[in-house]
Order: sequence, then C-alpha cells, then structure tokens
Amino acid sequence: MGKLEGKVAVITGGSSGMALASAKRFVEEGAYVFITGRRQEALDEAVELIGRNVTGVRGDAANLDDLDRLFETVKREKGKIDILFASAGTGEAVPLGKITEQHFDAAFGLNVRGTLFTVQKALPLFNDGGSIIMTGSNASAKGFAGWGVYAASKLALRSFARTWLNELKGRNIRVNVLVPGAIATPMQEEVLSKEAKEMFESMIPRGKMGQPEEVATVALFLASDDSSFVNGGELFVDGGMSAI
Amino acid sequence: MGALEGKVAVITGGNGGIGLATARRFVKEGAYVFITGRRQAELDKAVSLIGKNVTAVRGDVSKLEDLDHLYDVVRKEKGRVDVVFANAGLVDPVLLTDSTPDTYDKQFNLNARGVYFTVQKALPLLADNASIILSGSAAWQMGIPALGAYSATKAALVSFVRTWTAELASRGIRANVISPGPTETPMVHVGAKASDEGTSDYFKKMIPMGRLGTADELASAAVFLASDESSFITGIDLPVDGGTASR
Ligand SMILES: NC(=O)c1ccc[n+]([C@@H]2O[C@H](COP(=O)([O-])OP(=O)(O)OC[C@H]3O[C@@H](n4cnc5c(N)ncnc54)[C@H](OP(=O)(O)O)[C@@H]3O)[C@@H](O)[C@H]2O)c1
Ligand SMILES: NC(=O)c1ccc[n+]([C@@H]2O[C@H](COP(=O)([O-])OP(=O)(O)OC[C@H]3O[C@@H](n4cnc5c(N)ncnc54)[C@H](OP(=O)(O)O)[C@@H]3O)[C@@H](O)[C@H]2O)c1
Repeated sequence: MGKLEGKVAVITGGSSGMALASAKRFVEEGAYVFITGRRQEALDEAVELIGRNVTGVRGDAANLDDLDRLFETVKREKGKIDILFASAGTGEAVPLGKITEQHFDAAFGLNVRGTLFTVQKALPLFNDGGSIIMTGSNASAKGFAGWGVYAASKLALRSFARTWLNELKGRNIRVNVLVPGAIATPMQEEVLSKEAKEMFESMIPRGKMGQPEEVATVALFLASDDSSFVNGGELFVDGGMSAI
Repeated sequence: MGALEGKVAVITGGNGGIGLATARRFVKEGAYVFITGRRQAELDKAVSLIGKNVTAVRGDVSKLEDLDHLYDVVRKEKGRVDVVFANAGLVDPVLLTDSTPDTYDKQFNLNARGVYFTVQKALPLLADNASIILSGSAAWQMGIPALGAYSATKAALVSFVRTWTAELASRGIRANVISPGPTETPMVHVGAKASDEGTSDYFKKMIPMGRLGTADELASAAVFLASDESSFITGIDLPVDGGTASR
C-alpha cells in the first residue's frame, strides 16, 4: 500500500522541476494531486506525464483571484485537502545597488505573499491532521552575492512555519519548510550560467547537484505519516552545502 | 520491497526505547540489525521481540574495548556496515550549582565521546553510500533547567555531523542527527526528575502538539535518514519533536 493512499494533495508550481517530481511520486503513493502553473502547455505536459489521478489548474500563485479559482476547483472535485505543497517560487540574482521595486515585489509577491495566501485560502478545506509544506531555499542560510532579496523572501517562510505551528496545532495540521540546495531543475537551467552552476557544484560536498527526485522523496516524507512528529521545522535537502 | 532491503545496520542502545523501536522497523524494512546495550536480559527480550535478522552484542558504548568487540562481531558475521545509528545516551538532570565532575563526565563520556568513537570505529567497515545517524535532542537548542551538560553533549553531535559531512562525502557517506523531543520511553521520566510535576505535565507544556512523541515516530524518521530516500540530505539536524524547538 502507498504512503498517501486516499489523500488529496495540492501542489503549486507543480508543472515542472522538483514539484512535478513530487506530484508524480505522490500519485505513485496513492494520492490524488492538483497541480498549478501559469503556462497551460507545461501543465498539459505534466498531467500527461503523471498519467492519472491528477488535475491541472492554470493559475498564478501570486494572484489571489487565481488562488480562489484553484481552491474552488479542488472543493468541487474533491471537497477536502490533506496535503498542501506551496512550491511556486521565483528568484534571480540582483546585487544591492541595482535592486528595483519590481525585483523586490516579484520575489516577495510570489514567495511570501503568494505562499501566505495559498495557505490561508487552503485552510477551510483542510482535513485535521494534514500537512503543509513550503519550499524555502538554502540561499537563506548562505550569503550568495546577488541573492539577497530571494534569500530573505524564503527565510520568511521559516518564520511563518513557527507561528502557524502554534496557530494550527489545535487542528493537528503540521507545517514544515523543505529547504532545497542546488537542484538540477528547468528553473536552474534558465537562471544560472555554466559558471554559476560550476560554482554551486564546487560547494556541494559530493560535488554533484541534487536531482528533482531526491527532493520528491523528502516531500513525501513530510507529507506522509512517517513524519507525524515533525512540525514547525526546516528540512535541508542540499547535500550538506550549508552544513560545511 | 522494504526501504532498507539487504542493508546491515548497527544500533547502539538497541535494547530499549527509541533504539529498539528503530531496530524493529529496520528489520521490517529488510535490514539485518546488530543491537547493543549493557543489560543482557533486555537484549534477550529485544531479540525475541524483533524476531529475525538480529544479533545482540552486549557492551557499554562509553568503553572503547566494548566498541572494538562489537565491530569484531559485525566484521565476522557480515563484513560491512551500511547504517550506523549511534543512539545510546543518558540524561542526568542536575542544576549547574549542583553539578560535579562525575555528573558531567558520565554524560559526555557516553553521549559525545562514546558516539564519536562508535562512528570512528565503524569507518573501516562502512560501505560507500552508508548513512550515519546520531540521536541528539531538541534540548540542544533550548534552555531547560538541569539539562545543561546533557544539552551540550547533544549540541556536540550537531557539530560532529557537519565535519563528517565534509570528511566523508567523497565516499558518498552521509551523516545526520535526529533530535527527538520528549518521547514516551523510560528515559523521559528521568529527564523530568528535576521538576515536581509529573513527566507528562512537565513536558507537555513544552510541546506544541500537546503530547509526547512515540518511539515509533522516531523510528520512521530514522528509516527515512537510513534509506536512499534521503540521498541528498547530509549534515543536518532533523528535529522530531512536535515543534518543541520551534515554538
Ligand atoms: N532549483 C533549485 O536549485 C532551487 C533551490 C532552492 C529553492 N528552489 C525553490 O524550489 C521551488 C521550485 O523550483 P524548481 O527549481 O523546481 O523550479 P522550476 O523547474 O522552474 O519549476 C517552477 C514551477 O513553478 C511554476 N511557477 C512559477 N511561477 C509561478 C507562479 N507565479 N504561479 C504558479 N506557478 C508558478 C512554473 O510554471 P509556470 O512558469 O508555467 O508558472 C513551474 O511549474 C521554487 O520555490 C524555488 O525557489 C529551487
Ligand atoms: N526519550 C526522550 O524523551 C528523548 C528525548 C531527546 C533525546 N533522546 C535521546 O534518544 C536516545 C535514545 O533514548 P531513549 O529515550 O530511547 O532512552 P532509553 O529508553 O533510556 O533507552 C536507552 C537505551 O540505551 C541503552 N544504553 C544506555 N546506556 C548505554 C551504554 N553506556 N552503552 C550501551 N547502551 C546503553 C539502554 O540499555 P542498557 O541500560 O541495557 O545499556 C537502553 O536500551 C538517547 O540518546 C537520548 O538522549 C531521548
């Protein structure tokens, strides 16, 4: 029997990368999964890849109307949520001195504001005993030049988890932050130069980036009852980069 | 197929509490397990409870010759180790004002020094891609009266795994800490000794989830860190504490 038999999961930004790998794994473990993303084409491909027990809902996780539409769809189709994986996130390198309002608002608008309202709007549908997972970044624990705004936005999630732990404990809903390091995903391909990738790789003790599937297994742990006493924490999946 | 099919694991303090629950889960997941402890009677009980794929080796983790003996047995029987769960530990709640070199040494000798050499002596047998797991405690990052020396022994473990991550990653070996919060085992009652309240009341106030953890919940976290499911996780402290250290 799968570890998520009969569970309903919502995964924002689930049409690519580590969240897509997680959606695939969740379905293999018995869950029904809703995935979101802004590009319909990417969503369609993801739905086809996952193959069954999945609904793609197009939408921007930074847009509150889109979030309303997402949860209306979930409510109509399944009526409840057991697992929320708020993974949609964005970031690019801009050093202090060159930071614009747009740069700041893009990162905080999706990573912090979008994540907050994703969680808040999911709550009325949440089953007691559910699991909320947010995607942070180990950039928050390092000092990568240029990544200041992104790192700060991701650390806000750690703070949310601490507060929500106490606000949601009466419903036995757990809240944790999954903290990836350098993972070989399409986002990485897009935003990192060859030199930047080599730089990150040189900082990983094993010398090789993580694979999306190596994050999916961790998301599964946090989503399942295997982590029933893990709450309010952050789980680094970075091959030891921030430990050394 | 189990998550630990064909793996060989060594679990210190495997004859009770979290160590025993973990040994049972490891065997269920397909591993062969060596357990240690000082009390032979508890070892025997543990072996019959676990049922199969287990060898008990009596010994005290704070005595280096006992560790040598343990790994001699492992070498002869299996020839290699895939998972080391350095879990044996003790707590002696005593305020700073009342501490003595003896209360201090006892805790450091087992919880820090014993763990250090449990891992060092395993190295020659450790397979590439092996997983090292240490039992820490949520207390290391809190300020609980009377747990000063104990918490410091556990803080040392968080530091150990960072260095070992750097030293052993080229062999694919991972090293992590699991930090339990108050967990329903014999030890938790000792830990509450310094308070006048009952164990549950004393600790429940600290735990956002409002209940103690179970040894089985710690065991499932240990399975996760022991298995390939956590292949990109190393050098971390995984709190399994119901939110105790985050509140
Ligand atoms: N890759 C890494 O090394 C790394 C490291 C640390 C943290 N992270 C974090 O991990 C998460 C996933 O990253 P990834 O590398 O897997 O990215 P990815 O491969 O680019 O996938 C991102 C997914 O999110 C969707 N998305 C982006 N903006 C969105 C929005 N506003 N609303 C809804 N969906 C949106 C994308 O689809 P559309 O473009 O169609 O919307 C895509 O499906 C992010 O939060 C990222 O910050 C990544
Ligand atoms: N329970 C909690 O609330 C809690 C919280 C945080 C951290 N922890 C940590 O989790 C670990 C396991 O704790 P537990 O609650 O399962 O404890 P426990 O119930 O007291 O079990 C400890 C086990 O370790 C063995 N042991 C003790 N001293 C030993 C020594 N010198 N050499 C070899 N084996 C020894 C004991 O058997 P013998 O007496 O036969 O040797 C016993 O089987 C410890 O490191 C502890 O510090 C526990």
